[in-house]
Amino acid sequence: MMQSELAIFCENLSKNFRIYQKKPGLWGSIQTLWKREFIEKAAVKPLNLEIRSGEIIGLLGPNGAGKTTLMKMFTGIVIPTAGQLRVLGFEPAKRDLQFRKKIALVMGQKSQLWWDIPAMDSLQLLMRYYEIPEKLFQERVGYLAKLLEVESQLQVHVRKLSLGERMKLELMACLLHDPQIVFLDEPTIGLDLIAQRKIREFLLNYHREKNITLILTSHYMADVTALCQRIVLVMNGEKHFDGSIRAFEGLMGQEKYVKFFFSEPQNENHPLLSPLHPQFGNHGLEVELRVPEDKLKEVCAHILKELPVTDFQTEKMPVERVMQELMSRTGA
Amino acid sequence: MSSRRLMWIQTVKVALSNLLAYRVNFFLLVIGPALVFFFVKYSLWSSIYEQQGNRELAGMNRETMLGYQAMVLIVSLLAQGHNSTRLAEDIRLGRITAYLMYPFSLFEFHASSFIALQAVQLLTSAVVFMLALSLGLFAKVNLAFIGQGLILCCFVSILWFLIQYCIGLMAFWLEQTWVMRVLFQIVAQFLSGSILPLEFFPDGLRNILMYSPFPYLTWVPARAMLTGEESLLYGTGILMFWIVCAALLARLIWKKGLTMYTGAGM
Repeated sequence: MMQSELAIFCENLSKNFRIYQKKPGLWGSIQTLWKREFIEKAAVKPLNLEIRSGEIIGLLGPNGAGKTTLMKMFTGIVIPTAGQLRVLGFEPAKRDLQFRKKIALVMGQKSQLWWDIPAMDSLQLLMRYYEIPEKLFQERVGYLAKLLEVESQLQVHVRKLSLGERMKLELMACLLHDPQIVFLDEPTIGLDLIAQRKIREFLLNYHREKNITLILTSHYMADVTALCQRIVLVMNGEKHFDGSIRAFEGLMGQEKYVKFFFSEPQNENHPLLSPLHPQFGNHGLEVELRVPEDKLKEVCAHILKELPVTDFQTEKMPVERVMQELMSRTGA
Repeated sequence: MSSRRLMWIQTVKVALSNLLAYRVNFFLLVIGPALVFFFVKYSLWSSIYEQQGNRELAGMNRETMLGYQAMVLIVSLLAQGHNSTRLAEDIRLGRITAYLMYPFSLFEFHASSFIALQAVQLLTSAVVFMLALSLGLFAKVNLAFIGQGLILCCFVSILWFLIQYCIGLMAFWLEQTWVMRVLFQIVAQFLSGSILPLEFFPDGLRNILMYSPFPYLTWVPARAMLTGEESLLYGTGILMFWIVCAALLARLIWKKGLTMYTGAGM
């Protein structure tokens, strides 16, 4: 694929941070007055990645894996230590004015709206920054406010809004200038389930309509499964996986996790359950089994027939389980 | 109107709205300096002159000293209101991230906020001026002198803003910049004639100080407004020189500092 057709292209991209280490206690503090020890930490090790325009990518990994540093390099917030990086054909670290007009960043843990004034004032400020004509601005505000259901919150002081309302307005502020790439750093963090769902629905609808590129980091696997077509897993600064969600789910083998609930406790050595790596709980009243996908129907039918099953469920979040498994394997 | 100018105007408007957001805070911002002046400086100098049997000190009698101190307050309001606390905190907590992404730079944003603050300070200084005038603290008021002093204050405020901006940018390296800011303010207050008029300083020291920017921060504009004895052209020339130096320094610190930025907290 030609570099020019890509939204993001990076080759051997890396970032090292210089971190100062301090020994604990008062004596450690006194020592640092004349001698300081620094270590170089590789936040991102040489990494290659290509993202096409219009893709929705989930950047996954445990805390400190390097995914946010990657995002910061993509947006020009931090300067890479080495390697090549092009975002929409621009070198982000140069922070070209035209580049800045084509991207947006939503930070779940940081607000870009002014705290002490109504959101509409912040939006009007952004209208000027991004040189959006007044009429177009009114149209976009109307359109986005309706889609996000925040029409009545536009005139309220930001500090008086709930977290969910504020996040919707943050999204609105980021999309006003019609960016080609939107970077979403934990956009649903701290939100209740309904607000999370609404944000996801909005993002999906908006993507469907505008075909923008979305790069998402989130610790909520529900966000990832609902939004992302492709997953890039980063651990200890290295890319461990890059592929579709289906391929990611298949990493642990072609097995499904099924949980059964019984009306009476079951024996751990029951011949029907023991070959399926049972994990018993609630004094034998619950069991989780790993069932080969091709035998799922047959095994379930057999257990339902033979044992006093009151309820059963297949796993809802295979991505989450794969993540947990990979993280425990690498000690992340 | 150019789009760049519209960006500046809108940022100034938003910064002003932000300053007006809390009524009590705004009210204290406007009347606070006058209260401090009358509780501290007026009482202090009145008491000093009383103790000295109302003798002249360094060629200044009680009335000229109180007039000078009132003018010092007006100059400090007009030119030295801005401080870098917010900038340093924003860098340390990673809040400048948004301004690294907007097509409007962090410098432009802070400069616009500075203009908004100056508008409020102009109002505050007018309140103090009227109050001092009504109490007869200024023996004579010459509009030409005032105009001359105001022009000098404009240049001083730009220099002050740039110095504060440089100190704020040090947050790229230092976790706390307040020590540096407070030290600078103490030194600047003393050497600029804000606490004691430079007439109290030995001639040799005063002559050396005239090569530094300090006397031009307070003593020169205050005297220009009170006596008209300072050369406007010479004063603005010196201030322009220091403004260019501070601007170049700010640019250098910004370029170096940005390579250290980690966008903490994101």
